Amino acid sequence: MNRDPLLRVKDLRLYFRTTQGVVQAVDGVSFAMGHHQALAVLGESGCGKSSLTRAILRLLPRNVHTYTGQVLLDGADVMTLGEERFRQEVRWSRMSLVAQAAMNSLNPVLKVGEQVIEPLTTHRNVSREEARDRAGQVLQKVGVPLAFLDRYAFELSGGMRQRVVIAMALVTSPDLVILDEPTSALDVLTQANIMNLLKGIKDELGSSFLLITHDIAASSELADQVAVMYAGQLVELSEAADFYKEPRHPYSRKLIASVPRLHGDRKPEFIPGQPPSLINPSGGCRFAPRCPQRFDRCREDPPLVEVEPGQWVKCWLYPPLSDNGSDAN
Amino acid sequence: MQTEPALVVSDLHVRFELRRWGFGRAGAIRAVDGVSFTLRQGEATAVVGESGCGKSTLVRTILGLHRPAGGQVVFEGIHVDRLKSKEMQRYRSRVGYVQQDPYGALPPFMSVNRILEEPLIINKVGGKSERTRRIREALEEVKLTPVEDFLTKFPHMLSGGQQQRLVIARAMALRPRLLVADEPVSMLDASVRVEILELLQGLQRLHGLTLLYITHDLSTARHFVERVLVMYAGKIVEQSEVDELVTSPLHPYTKALIAAIPDPDPANADSFRDVPPGEPPNLLNPPSGCRFHPRCPAFIEGLCEVKEPPVFEPEPGRLVACWLYQSEQTAP
Repeated sequence: MNRDPLLRVKDLRLYFRTTQGVVQAVDGVSFAMGHHQALAVLGESGCGKSSLTRAILRLLPRNVHTYTGQVLLDGADVMTLGEERFRQEVRWSRMSLVAQAAMNSLNPVLKVGEQVIEPLTTHRNVSREEARDRAGQVLQKVGVPLAFLDRYAFELSGGMRQRVVIAMALVTSPDLVILDEPTSALDVLTQANIMNLLKGIKDELGSSFLLITHDIAASSELADQVAVMYAGQLVELSEAADFYKEPRHPYSRKLIASVPRLHGDRKPEFIPGQPPSLINPSGGCRFAPRCPQRFDRCREDPPLVEVEPGQWVKCWLYPPLSDNGSDAN
Repeated sequence: MQTEPALVVSDLHVRFELRRWGFGRAGAIRAVDGVSFTLRQGEATAVVGESGCGKSTLVRTILGLHRPAGGQVVFEGIHVDRLKSKEMQRYRSRVGYVQQDPYGALPPFMSVNRILEEPLIINKVGGKSERTRRIREALEEVKLTPVEDFLTKFPHMLSGGQQQRLVIARAMALRPRLLVADEPVSMLDASVRVEILELLQGLQRLHGLTLLYITHDLSTARHFVERVLVMYAGKIVEQSEVDELVTSPLHPYTKALIAAIPDPDPANADSFRDVPPGEPPNLLNPPSGCRFHPRCPAFIEGLCEVKEPPVFEPEPGRLVACWLYQSEQTAP
């Protein structure tokens, strides 16, 4: 087997130019995820988690100020590829995306079958017949009846449309599927259905998922590893088994405590204050102004260090596991 | 604890006629179909259901925005469904409404001061100085302080949480007796959600308000209300105190809902969730008998698809519309 991790991101930065100044949406994010794994990226709106997906897939708007760092797929840096090669060889061939609210952006005048076929005819050298067969297989895999190939988006329910969008992301058998809030617009039962579906696909096809969400409870359905983002930076990266039981970073703790639980009597708590502006954020730890455990040293920016095997935290409260001063990964 | 009912809804029906080519009938969507419940004075109640179950239509009918096709809405003795426009205005001044999307609910060209003054002007409350005092009070209640910093701001200058506070302040400006909140936190982040819900709960307790909280999220209802009404396909299928509902749900639909909601737990990833097959029915042509029967794991053949279940009361204070409980005591 391949010893390189499937995806390794090193010091990724994505800044945007705006009239108010430069927004540091993704600010030095580093992490790695293995094959057949699901990594959940958690955070509140505006923390940069959607910008992270854009940076990884290089889906950039025009007002980019800075775009640096490394994105390694199976050990090869795809950031250095030219735009056309990236489009042909990486985007949708090896990494695909289920964008936020994608089910509402299906083309209303094309049959859904056509839309599922499109990535294949664009990225794989296959005939329309082959593509149609393959699309049929994938649609069945995600629980959409074959007859729906010839239907239009408006004839499908929200859950069915979400399945179609997932099929579009799976049809080229990419190594990594990025899911940006795949269930946030769905009803409770549909959400459970989609999560069941994703779990099934992960087990059966061995797919890898990067799951971007603010829904902490739902993320625990799929995640093997959890990354928490705050104000453009990664503040914690842990194994799911540890994270949901005992998060380390003070922000992660607050975040978990804010989740209303259906069972158990513990009342959810809110996090006082607001996240900082990403335009000229102050030096030092960005969570410090809201942190109940802040102390003098928080005026300096803490590094992301490994504090237990497999647990990385960006906080001065935790001494690094080894003293070799290694940065993330 | 027996208290005066604040709102009594009985056998409420709301229909939306569909027309073909501008005229000619094409049937009607029965969005609310025979709903009855009572809200007790000073109690917080949640209506929980999935999109399209009729919960927003129910709210809008209570606010007098839809005319019911049948049944009654009685608020402190007033028949809301029969009010003339002048009386309706008076009624609406006693009912606060917190909308789902705070940004969409606030006029973008009005300052905070103006937004809060508007309901006072319309309802001819006090003179200028009295209104200024009331506006300050309203802002302080929702903790948009220091007040001076906010009075001249426009909605787009506020964060999502602050916008929702402003919507709540506006709903509270006329000191209503009943506060209706339609998905007040679904557009907000988890940590802000809790903050807004705590604010609503605080106001409700402080003023002894009757609160009707519409949501699709049973886990927030769990912590912020006392009673829950579960709606499915235009009907209330179960009514109960929230703790009992969560720990021992009666209706198969409520059971399915509860089984589908995850709490953060790494063990979730190891198993699949039980989800009933199918999707909620089209309300143009709902299934015969019990509307949940095509999806129900406890379906009784020859009964559920034939006859609509009446409301049973298998335990005191717990109402359920399901044939499984027919041998138990019937509600009076």
